[in-house]
Amino acid sequence: MAMSRDQIFGEVQEVLVDALGVDDDEVTAEATLMGDLGAESIDFLDIVFRLEKAFDMKIPREELFPAESLMNNTDFVNNGKLTETGLAELRNKMPYIELGEFANDPDINKLGDLFTVNTIVSYVDSKLNAA
Amino acid sequence: MASLPIVLTGQKMRWIWIDKFVEFQSGRRAVAVKNVTLAEEHLHDHFPGFSVMPETLMIEAMAQTSGILVGEAKKFQEKVILAKVKKAVFHDYVKPGDTIKLEAVIESIAPEAASTSGRITLGEKLIAEIDLMFSHIDQNLAGKKFPTENFVFTDTFKSLLHGVLVNGAASGTPESEQN
Amino acid sequence: MAETMRFILIDKIVSLESGKEIKTVKSVSLAEEYLADHFPTFPVLPGVLLLEGLIESASWLVREAENFAHSMILLSEARNVKYKSFLAPGGRIEYTVEAKTIEENVSSFAGFGVSENQRIVEAKFGLRHFNLADENPSMAAIDAKVIENMRQRWKLLKN
Repeated sequence: MAMSRDQIFGEVQEVLVDALGVDDDEVTAEATLMGDLGAESIDFLDIVFRLEKAFDMKIPREELFPAESLMNNTDFVNNGKLTETGLAELRNKMPYIELGEFANDPDINKLGDLFTVNTIVSYVDSKLNAA
Repeated sequence: MASLPIVLTGQKMRWIWIDKFVEFQSGRRAVAVKNVTLAEEHLHDHFPGFSVMPETLMIEAMAQTSGILVGEAKKFQEKVILAKVKKAVFHDYVKPGDTIKLEAVIESIAPEAASTSGRITLGEKLIAEIDLMFSHIDQNLAGKKFPTENFVFTDTFKSLLHGVLVNGAASGTPESEQN
Repeated sequence: MAETMRFILIDKIVSLESGKEIKTVKSVSLAEEYLADHFPTFPVLPGVLLLEGLIESASWLVREAENFAHSMILLSEARNVKYKSFLAPGGRIEYTVEAKTIEENVSSFAGFGVSENQRIVEAKFGLRHFNLADENPSMAAIDAKVIENMRQRWKLLKN
């Protein structure tokens, strides 16, 4: 069952509107989950459960939202920034994400900005189209 | 007639909002009942002159029904607390003399959290739909200090299950959970 | 004599902008009966009572705006109620509730509660307001009694 990226976006949008209590028009592709949409720890879990139902797939929370385990690991974080190992781990866990500027200044406080609606759409897309 | 469980000190438990479970399918679904009575003094304030069961206490009753369902699925090893009310919609109010039925279903369950849906009915009438999220706090609030014992699932809460689990009749096949 | 468990979840109205916004406070005392069960060894205000504080605050906004026209003000729906931190005895919470709409029989709000600069709870919710006499004219006297009682309570809370 192939889903186009647009279709995936539509479903993801609905999930985020329900989980976060925001309006349709706030859920743009570039909107950050934490900064723009106000998502927090418990919301991430809510989002994962809803995505699992919407797309009929299993989503280990760690796969979609690796930030927490990254941030709590001293191998990956030093002085408030991701180490080389940490950056590599991030790239490894989220191959579909655009690191851009973040790679030059991997401030962990900015980690949240990487997680946009697009991040979720890309993740679902990659999982649906995997073997 | 249901009475509030009494612990050894003779003090009444003041924060149990369900009377008993009438059905319990481990890991899946549970049904509890609650008699709404004027003996519950909180009703006198809500409202003075005409008592109705406060909607938030109906949410609590559902949280206890769902929370015990989720807790039991984890063999009461986790401290499971209410983290989010996804939605609570009320279609009518409930008065002293009414007996409400609370049906809770586990929608999703993971090591860190669980999501439940629930319905409260009065006879045939749908009173409320309440969807909740529970957090397993030891798994989620690293760094915050909590007492080690499971203060959430005291003996009193667990005792609400004695009638339904021990008899075996109401249990479905428990979901296998590796712990 | 049995203790009466009260069900008033705010202590005082701090400010009110008619039809728009209300701020209220509640102090949590170890004497509150339910704390013994919630939880033993770790007493904190139950989440639903934090929501009740928001609902009561909103209800006063409605009552004041409609000049106590209705006896019954009930929660019709709550969404995305999030509990972010715990409130323990000795603590004090300030609720801020903003009205999105207040119509004759329905209203909607967004609110949150803060204690010591930490957000404890936030919610979006809607209320419905009516008189029992709307369905059953013989209940008009009861409506009047409830309204009178709520007017009295209003005086206490506003001081």
